[in-house]
Amino acid sequence: MRNGDSTHQEPQAIKASPPLRTEPLVEPSSTPYKELPKGPVGRSERRIDGPEKVLGTALYGADLFFGKADYFAQVVRSEKAHALIRSIETGDALRMPGVVAVYTAKDMPGTNRQGLIHRDHPVLAEDRVLYRGDGVAIVVAESERAVRRGRDAVKVLYEELPVVADFDDALAEDAPRLHPDGNIMGGKRIRKGDADAALSASDVIVSETFVTQTVDHAFLDIEAGIACWDGHLLTLHVSGQWAHEERRLTALALGLPMEAVRIITPATGGAFGGREDLSMQVYLGMVALKHPGKTIAMRYSREESMRARHKRHAMRIHYTIGAMRDGTLTAAKITVYSNEGAYASTGPAVLRKAASHATGPLRIPNVYVDVYGVYTNNNPTGAMRGFGACQMAIAYNGMMDRLAERLGMDRADLWKQNLIHSGDAVTTGQIIPIATAVECLDAALRQYRAKKQHDRPLAPHERRGWGISVICFGLGYGDGFPDASRATVRLTPAGRLEVYTGGVEYGQGLLNMAGQVAAEELGMPFSLVDVIWADTGRTQESGSSSATRQTYFTGNAVKIAASELREQVLDIASKLLPVHPHELDLHDGKAVGRFNPSLVVPMAKLIEEGRKRGYSLEASGIFKPRTVCEDFDTGQSPRSFITYLFGSHIAQVVVDMETGEVRVERYVACHDVGKAINPQSVAGQMIGGATQGIGMALMEEVVMDGGVMRNANFTDYILPTFRDVPTIETIILENDDPGGPFGARGIGEPPLIAATPAVLSAIGNAIGVAPHTTPCNPQRVWELLYPDDAQTPYAARLTTAPPHALLSK
Amino acid sequence: MATDSTTWQLRCTVNGRPIEAEVEPDETLLFFLRDKLGLTGTKGSCLEGECGSCTVIVDGRALNSCLVLCPQMQGRRIETIEGLANGDKLHVLQDKFLASGAAQCGYCTPGLIMAAKALLDQNPNPTEQEFFEGMEGNICRCTGYAAICEAIRSAVQQWK
Ligand code: FES
Ligand code: FES
Repeated sequence: MRNGDSTHQEPQAIKASPPLRTEPLVEPSSTPYKELPKGPVGRSERRIDGPEKVLGTALYGADLFFGKADYFAQVVRSEKAHALIRSIETGDALRMPGVVAVYTAKDMPGTNRQGLIHRDHPVLAEDRVLYRGDGVAIVVAESERAVRRGRDAVKVLYEELPVVADFDDALAEDAPRLHPDGNIMGGKRIRKGDADAALSASDVIVSETFVTQTVDHAFLDIEAGIACWDGHLLTLHVSGQWAHEERRLTALALGLPMEAVRIITPATGGAFGGREDLSMQVYLGMVALKHPGKTIAMRYSREESMRARHKRHAMRIHYTIGAMRDGTLTAAKITVYSNEGAYASTGPAVLRKAASHATGPLRIPNVYVDVYGVYTNNNPTGAMRGFGACQMAIAYNGMMDRLAERLGMDRADLWKQNLIHSGDAVTTGQIIPIATAVECLDAALRQYRAKKQHDRPLAPHERRGWGISVICFGLGYGDGFPDASRATVRLTPAGRLEVYTGGVEYGQGLLNMAGQVAAEELGMPFSLVDVIWADTGRTQESGSSSATRQTYFTGNAVKIAASELREQVLDIASKLLPVHPHELDLHDGKAVGRFNPSLVVPMAKLIEEGRKRGYSLEASGIFKPRTVCEDFDTGQSPRSFITYLFGSHIAQVVVDMETGEVRVERYVACHDVGKAINPQSVAGQMIGGATQGIGMALMEEVVMDGGVMRNANFTDYILPTFRDVPTIETIILENDDPGGPFGARGIGEPPLIAATPAVLSAIGNAIGVAPHTTPCNPQRVWELLYPDDAQTPYAARLTTAPPHALLSK
Repeated sequence: MATDSTTWQLRCTVNGRPIEAEVEPDETLLFFLRDKLGLTGTKGSCLEGECGSCTVIVDGRALNSCLVLCPQMQGRRIETIEGLANGDKLHVLQDKFLASGAAQCGYCTPGLIMAAKALLDQNPNPTEQEFFEGMEGNICRCTGYAAICEAIRSAVQQWK
């Protein structure tokens, strides 16, 4: 569905007044935060789900097995990247002691299809497998040991087909067709002004090709869950990011009415986009349907988790940018190829995000963008924190470094000259009423310069450098998608405040956000709040926990619901006190007279009275802002995203010129979050996101080789550890968003998006050659330093000239 | 030593409670704690000694329970996250983790708390170097470690 919003008026260039804040309200530091003396909003309240997490009593998917599982199931996965299935022999497996059944696609009762955007992915392969990890059969047994043996005994006979290993294979003339429409999944374009003409009129043109890697989410809580079918209802306890959509997709694939499926999301150990596609829901559901009354359990190993799951898109970005001699940007021309892997997953949304964020917060009058998604026999690629926007941030930030070098300008000056201000438009033509990119950059620079530490002296083989990134991010799905959150709040007879949301908490702090907003609105102490979440049997749909949307969307839905409940409560109070509801306030668990503070009724009394008088003491809210579809031919839209977020990071690194090793020494992260509902949680997202971005810049990479993943384990897939992350100095700016709950915007993805380019920029500054390929691990640094001879030791090179000359192109 | 069908008689203590159980010789301590004793606070993630999620304390030392087999636990004293709190009262590390926001998704938390406890039990005032050596085997994907360092540092001040 598209929201053709004909009544929408383009906002005039609104200049925010009073002047925007460039100073944080709280003193920058890593942790902890000083609190503002107000209600729960703006306070670092302890996590609602914290106690059970530190006690070890929180129940994650795999913790539900104990004493509950009747049968265990496991998936037989394809060992081939591209092949026809000739036969599946299950006889040996079925003869194994303890094995109960083996199922294949023909046993699937419904459509056997999954996929969030295109239903193109068979849950169990039918005649063909498209990646090494595609599900082929399911084995059911009485114990985990038996099910593993059974799985290993299933023999699948394949007829191998040529493997489409990457973009170039996929686009070759004689490439095997992976999908009926060919190997191009889709595309997205932006046409604004005349980029070609503007480029030829530019004083300076710089071109570069960036190559970004495939990244794994690597959340620690491996996929696991249980399911049971009682003849009427299929109950699934499996982690995801959007319980209601998981219910719809599972029901479709299994041929059940939606009402016959209930998803209950257990405690969830990280997601980062990696739980957006279905994981084992349909597998578990299918087995449960075949064995009514039995509880079925399934868990992946780390290897299966990595081999089965979608990944972050690897992209190849050809970027040309033009400028006048004074540094004014004139045009950008960008072509992006994106490795979609075997199935679409959320690829189309990632491509759209990449196109609309192709020039980030830069003011460029002429822009030409083509983004293509290309199918290959790799893992499907889809949602991951920063989807599409983070790859493009690597490119536009990299171009600014190159341009500054070419023009002989200071990087920060070049940035400031070209950043959008309030009232300017981004690439899609959307005018941003409050744009705080400059403020973020200024605050980060000020912090970096003011606290310039006594840097340790460098060894002769070391170089130090620092880098800047500036980013923006349009939150939510936007682009006309009918995106909405719903919430219900309720005052219980026991005097507690219950908040119901369909949103998933996987660590990001949704429960506190929702609870603190509701408590603020109702003047309740936070300690009396309970949040019930992501259970399709008890909560209403709140959209997915992704795209940095929950604070804005669910925060607003909760606020709308709570303010309605507030009216009820004030009404009850006015029956007990000799004043009009407008003369009352809710505060600290009491109704208090605004003009006469001696008029007080405690909440418990109000609830009791309300119940007696027939008040529902419950209210629901829906938040469904409209966005406008981007034009198909030009990518222009007056309001593609509901609001924008801005941020700027500064990284300082030391590069070992002999080994190519990079250490991040110092780090400043600044984001404008509108309002930090829970400052500690916001800082946690900033530091955690920046750490993932550092991982993407320096070490993380899924290595695919002819369709085979070479590092599907934590020994070979390198993640940032304690030693890899410096103290990250966080600066939280709070320029209210007029449409956000208490002015809040959100924070989830921008810290990751900004981090990778900041580190790359610092490496370029240190070694004099700007990186173009991620991760910039020691080998790649070495290749940058010594392109002709990666074997020559640095000492030998020193006798000639030190490597430098950023971008001689 | 033992064939597949031979089971072992394991005696050990878990959180001070004597345990006697039949185990398979190739059963890991992680599996035993979680699936036999129901102590699911100890988490599994990489299952090959790389992430520290499964850290427990055995005779005072932090160990990755995914790497040790049950027969090696004969006569040992095992501590898990479930044994830390005293009734309603959180252990100081648990309290500080909560206060600093060191648990986001919380999946790494039990392992981190056990690793930190083993470290501080042996060395109540670790230098930065010793701190890293004690903790670097534990991975957290969510927090970026700052809040965890903060939590452990503030626990150090109250360590008895
Ligand atoms: S699960 Fe034991 S170290 Fe990762
Ligand atoms: S809090 Fe999620 S892995 Fe550490």
